[in-house]
Order: sequence, then C-alpha cells, then structure tokens
Amino acid sequence: MTEYRAPEQDVVISSRVRLARNYRDIPFAPQMNQDWSGETIRRVNESMKDQQGDYRLVRIAELNKSERNQLVEHHLISYDLLKFEQFSAALISSGETVSIMINEEDHLRIQGLLPGMQLERAADLAFKADDVLGADGNYAFDTQWGYLTSCPTNTGTGMRASTMLHLPALSAAGQVSAVLQTVSKLGLTVRGLYGEGSDAKGNLYQLSNQVTLGRTEEDMVKTLIAATAQLADHERSLRETVREDDSMSMLDKLMRSVGIMGHARLMSSAEFMQRYSDLRLLAAMDIVDASLSEMDQLMMDLQHGSLNVRAGEKMSGQERDVYRAELLRDYIRGIATK
Amino acid sequence: MICEECGVRPATIRLMSVVNGEKVARNLCTHCLSDVKKQLPNLDLSGLDSMLANLIAATKKMGLSQEPEVDLTCPRCGTTYEAFQKSGLLGCADCYGAFREPLETLLKRIHGQTQHTGRVPGMATEDISQKIGIYTLKQQLNKAITAEEYEQAAELRDRIRALQQEMDQQELSEQEAHAHDGV
Repeated sequence: MTEYRAPEQDVVISSRVRLARNYRDIPFAPQMNQDWSGETIRRVNESMKDQQGDYRLVRIAELNKSERNQLVEHHLISYDLLKFEQFSAALISSGETVSIMINEEDHLRIQGLLPGMQLERAADLAFKADDVLGADGNYAFDTQWGYLTSCPTNTGTGMRASTMLHLPALSAAGQVSAVLQTVSKLGLTVRGLYGEGSDAKGNLYQLSNQVTLGRTEEDMVKTLIAATAQLADHERSLRETVREDDSMSMLDKLMRSVGIMGHARLMSSAEFMQRYSDLRLLAAMDIVDASLSEMDQLMMDLQHGSLNVRAGEKMSGQERDVYRAELLRDYIRGIATK
Repeated sequence: MICEECGVRPATIRLMSVVNGEKVARNLCTHCLSDVKKQLPNLDLSGLDSMLANLIAATKKMGLSQEPEVDLTCPRCGTTYEAFQKSGLLGCADCYGAFREPLETLLKRIHGQTQHTGRVPGMATEDISQKIGIYTLKQQLNKAITAEEYEQAAELRDRIRALQQEMDQQELSEQEAHAHDGV
C-alpha cells in the first residue's frame, strides 16, 4: 500500500517558519519579571481565544524535565524557552502545526510547522497568528528597522524560515561542507537537528535564513524554497547513482540496520539515529514499505525525554536503551520489506 | 564518542570553528575544552548572544570597529550600551532609540542592510505587497524631504496617493461583493 506523502517528503522532513515579536510597552527578556511575564501570557491568551481550533497553554514551570524535553524533541518549543523557565509558556494548536512560545528571548516566537516541503503554507500559518496577535498595534516596530527584537541578529522581519532535510547520500559523499559554503552566499545557513550548535544526527540538517533585515519575508522564503529544491535534487541524484553503481552493497548495509533494529535488546540514542537514517533512506527509495510520516514521528518519540514521558517514569540510561529497543522491535515487526 | 584531543575521555561538546574559510568540527571532553579555551581567552561558548557580544568586544579591541566609545543609557529601562555589549540583548523597545547610532553600525555589520522591507504590523496577508509598496514609498518620501529634494518628494507623494486610491477602490469593491453575498 502506498502511503500519502507530503510534498518532497523523501528528502524534506519538515518546513518551519518562526517569527520573533515583542510588545512595545513591556521590557524585553533581560528585564523580564513575574508581573510582566504574566501580562504577555494574558495578552496572547486573550488575542487567540476566538481562533478556530483548540489551543492548549503550557506553562514551562509546571512541567517536569522529561515533559519539557518532549516538547523540544517534537520541535514545539526551543531549548531556549527552557532557559526562561520561571516566566515562559507556550500556546500549542491541537494539530501541533502552530505554536506560540511566550517569554523566550523575545516576548513571542510564533511558529508554523508542517511535514515535507510546505514552506509557504507554514509561513501562512505563522502570518495568520501574527496578524491576530498584532491586531491591536501593540508590537515593537520601527519604520526603518522593522520588528524590534531583543537580539539584533533577528531585527527586521524577525523571521527564521527553515527546512529539515535528510541528506544521507550527500553526507556519505562528504559534500556537506561544500554545501555549507554555497548556501552561506545566499544568506542561508545549515544547522543540526535541534538548531544552533546541535549535531547533525541521523544525517538531518536544518537549512535556514541568516539575514533578517533588508529582505522581505517572501523573498527569503522563495530563496529557501529554491535552495531546498536544489539540495533535494542533488541528494536524489546521488542516491540513484549509488543505487546504480553498487546496488547490492548499499542494500546490504541498509538492510543490516533493519535487521539490527528488529532484534537489538539495547539501542542507544546515537545508534538509533543512524539506524533511523538507514531505514528512512530505504523507505524513501521504496525498497521498504513504511510510512515516512510515521517513521519521523517515531524518531521524535524515541528521544530521551519523550521515552521517559511514555514510560511514565524517569529511567536510567540503560533502562531507556532497553525500552527504546523494545519499541523499535515492535515497530519493525509492523512494516514489510520488499 | 572519544575526545579528539586526549583520546581518552568521552567527548561531551562539539566545538565548531572556521579555519581558513573551512568549517571545522572537533569533539572534545570538558577537560580539553578548557585547555582550548585558555588558548583563546576571549572565547565564550554559551550561545549566539554571547558570541555576538564577544564579536563586538573583539573587533573593538583589535581596532577594526568604526564604532566610537559609547556611553549611553536607555532612559526607559536603564540598560547601558555597555551592558548590551556584554549580553548581546537589548532591554526594551526604547533601547533601539537610545542606542540608534551605534546600533545602525552593528545592524549594517550583521545584515549588510539597515532598511526593513517586509511585513508591517496589522497588515492582512492578502494585500501585503501593496502595503509594502506604500510603506517603502513613504520611507523614501521622508528621506527626500529631509534631503530637501522637493521635486522627488512631490513625485513620491503622487505615487503614494495613487496606490492608496487603488487600495481604497479594492476595499470598496470587496465590501460590495460581500454585500451581494449576503443577499
């Protein structure tokens, strides 16, 4: 059975647009206090209360460490939101496509997140929430410098648009650093799975815009779409070259990963990311019949914090590896290989 | 993963650096990281904000910065420019006004530009381009007036009026369309 796939999902895992916004009459993060932080949360709640769809408000201080990590692992909040734990909160839509981080480095970080290559739609989601939140004209905005943010690296559009890419063939060919150099010339940058400073685990890379002042949101989104499409094409042609040149050894290497996932009793997080990358490549090339969306969901569900939440308790490192291996065996049993 | 420096302890941090234009990653343990940090005394790895702050401080020290010594304080929140240079974060929206001159230099260095083009607050998604058009023209008009280029200012004013009329017309016809829908 062929699953429904989001556009270009064989290479593009997700598309995300995040907007940084601040209220002009409330001090920024370095001067934040309990009263002001309560006021920003109140304003967001008030503005969004008539919106379609259910939103749930999550106060970071009320979550345990695993629950916080689970939200980060599912890209619903950033690690940075945890830094401001006594003040911060997030308003998350029921489908988890829109989340509004409150009292991070900026008062608001409005995020639209969709699977596959849907950057324009993700931007629309974020802009719609932005229009509602900024309707009362209370945003910090300057006619010359645009949206005023706590850190000048975001001043202007305040927009960070990104695509999450699975690039196993490019990584294997050692071409990622060349890509890094090329995209920087377009005002784009490449990061690991969980943003700034994080590793490119599982051959996952985030491509995002660097510059926020002097270029329109539309222009930046279009540049990112074009660069993502080019990278995806390049990745696909490398995958095909490997398949044509040395099909059996590639297949052998990847299928061994499936074998290990089906039988391992201990699965560390690092090993899991590598195996997930192998399995995702097999599914993307239609060698294994498995849903890419389900697999990407599983990838997030088997991270550290999410596993603890699922088990309902904080586990030791080894207990977690045992539990991860168990869930992975169940999953592998459910998929068919061609 | 084992630390690439000592080859003994497990690596706990990934240090990214740019050497001769090439991005180089090294996996280090905390012990070796502190040795590396000693060789680079100004390096702080806690995040982008402090990196930005260090960049400002380092360029200043090396005499690369065009930025004059600044002794400014935001009248609203009390943040000093010096405090901003240390943290990389501004205290409130008014800091942008208080530190306007040095920030202009800094924004130019970060983004290569100092004029925002893009969304403005309260705009509906459908008519972005027209509003951006009017907004940009208004900016140019202000500049032309300041520079006492009155001929250019008059021309800009006419273009703004024409665009504004066009938008009003559209709004009117949309309202009419809605009225018909309601019948």
